[in-house]
Amino acid sequence: MKNVTADEIKNLIQIFDDSDWRELALQVEDFRIFLSRDPDSAGAPWQTPPAPAAVPGPVSPPPAPASRAPAKAADAPVAQASADATPVPDNCVVVKAPNLGIFYRSPKPGSPPYVELGAEVNEETEICLIEVMKLFTPVHAGIRGTIRHICVEDGDMVEHDQPLFYVEPAE
Amino acid sequence: MAISRLFIANRGEIAVRIIRAAHALGIETVLGSSAADAEGLAARMANRTIIVGPAEPARSYLDEKIMVQAALGAGCDALHPGYGFLSERPALARLCEENEIAFVGPRPETIEALGDKLSARRIAEASGVPLVPGTAALKSAEDACAAADGIGYPVVMKATAGGGGRGMFFASGPGDVMASFNKASEEARAAFGDGSLYIERFVENARHVEVQVFGDGKGRVLHFGERDCSVQRRYQKLIEEAPCTVMPEAVRTKLHAAAVKLTSDLNYRNAGTVEFLFDVDREEFYFIEVNARIQVEHPVSELISRRDLVAMQLQLAGGEPLELQQSDIVLHGHAIECRVNAEDPDQGFRPSPGRLTTWQPPEMDFMRLDTFCSEGTLIPPYYDSMIGKLIVYGNDRDEALQRMDAAIRRFSLRGVMTNMPLQHFIVRHPDFRNNRITTRWLEQTGLPAFANREE
Repeated sequence: MKNVTADEIKNLIQIFDDSDWRELALQVEDFRIFLSRDPDSAGAPWQTPPAPAAVPGPVSPPPAPASRAPAKAADAPVAQASADATPVPDNCVVVKAPNLGIFYRSPKPGSPPYVELGAEVNEETEICLIEVMKLFTPVHAGIRGTIRHICVEDGDMVEHDQPLFYVEPAE
Repeated sequence: MAISRLFIANRGEIAVRIIRAAHALGIETVLGSSAADAEGLAARMANRTIIVGPAEPARSYLDEKIMVQAALGAGCDALHPGYGFLSERPALARLCEENEIAFVGPRPETIEALGDKLSARRIAEASGVPLVPGTAALKSAEDACAAADGIGYPVVMKATAGGGGRGMFFASGPGDVMASFNKASEEARAAFGDGSLYIERFVENARHVEVQVFGDGKGRVLHFGERDCSVQRRYQKLIEEAPCTVMPEAVRTKLHAAAVKLTSDLNYRNAGTVEFLFDVDREEFYFIEVNARIQVEHPVSELISRRDLVAMQLQLAGGEPLELQQSDIVLHGHAIECRVNAEDPDQGFRPSPGRLTTWQPPEMDFMRLDTFCSEGTLIPPYYDSMIGKLIVYGNDRDEALQRMDAAIRRFSLRGVMTNMPLQHFIVRHPDFRNNRITTRWLEQTGLPAFANREE
């Protein structure tokens, strides 16, 4: 289902907006879209429910804004890619993408992620990879603290300066 | 297979132009934008905008890997490079090819072959396209005199080993050659370790004339007539027009044939321009180079041919056959384009970025304005100063000139300094009106006259 157009998505969102539905989940072949008004939504039916935060912290799970489609960018329609909408807690700093590329949480496919929620990092800790045309560049945390939120799904494309992680600085 | 989602790796007016053409064909658009252009008109028009990097061009508009990565990430099946930036970088075309993205332009090997000056000259020579008459290295003043006689005075002597004017001199007759050869040769030896000189014909009255071509990549090439771009400052074009009215019809026919021959020998694909120097006195033309991309001044050819060249680019890149025949391309009338640059002609052409507090183009028939600007637009300081192209059409050159005069007069524009006062001065100047200019006219005559103008 490669030919979903922006207009079709817009229409879908419009229908959802005009309805009194709480959530809408639609799957046609490999195209999937999930819309929700509920900030505490459990997510799309095809998603595993979010694990409880490893460390209780001030960050709540990200709400799903209505325009956010969980499908991968390449299959998504050309509606504006929404950045993660989780508000940055006052006590956190944002680690941003140094350049556009594909975001990877692990050093290679199948291996464990560099960091999980709650991980302690320092300035030099590698926290993810950004790939540009087969060139993989590690991103360093740049700060000592604790990972409180991961803004991007593994394998998603990130834009220049897009938030990747929220880190709560160490005392 | 037609293009379904197009990536635009450019900014400014050409990004707007490409997006408009794509939408008219039902093609979705994704703009690869720097952070500085995130709020621009192209970003608002595109179906999606991806911030590929910071304002700095080296990390955004000049990074082919970032651009192709963004195009892949957004699921695009074609990429248009516009002009400037990456448009003639073979690496971008190659990277697109490797990733199965249709590159809207020539094949990478064509871009490569034409991008190198010497290789381009060899290609022209092989196709029988005339180059500026010149010689190989010469050893003595006597040899030089004999060779210059064959080429015809005036001539320029140049050092074979280098540039920068060392060892270069102008000769209007054999006396000049005898007087200067040995001294110039010594100068060249001192500068480059090689004292040999060669001769090139000096074109006193030169016009810059170029032919718009479009190839199907299989050897068939159409032309859309020529453009005259002789109003230049430091090799930057300021005014372009089509056709070149000072060119005799017989020469024009040969010029078009030369451009078509050269590009069809290369199986040239998509839009391109073959540039020539036209020697007005001798009624001869000489090859300069091929620009393997869509050019800034393509609208004047579009107006006299009533063909949408950018749409044609997208259709060909999408795999549609080129069904148009040369006989379908009927040229009529005259078109003139003035580049609107945010720079101050009274202050040495100092760039003048800033916010456009007033931008009120005239409401006029037979006028076209290609731009990314509107009232309140911020002209960022990081890029080229061109903010628009004002184009008018007339049945003949006089009518077009009259309309351009009126269009500039009625164009209300404030907030940044622009070159519009200079453009207005040029289009009203008797030398330009009577079409008696050369490529050196603006610097030698036009600019001094403008500096001394009475308001």
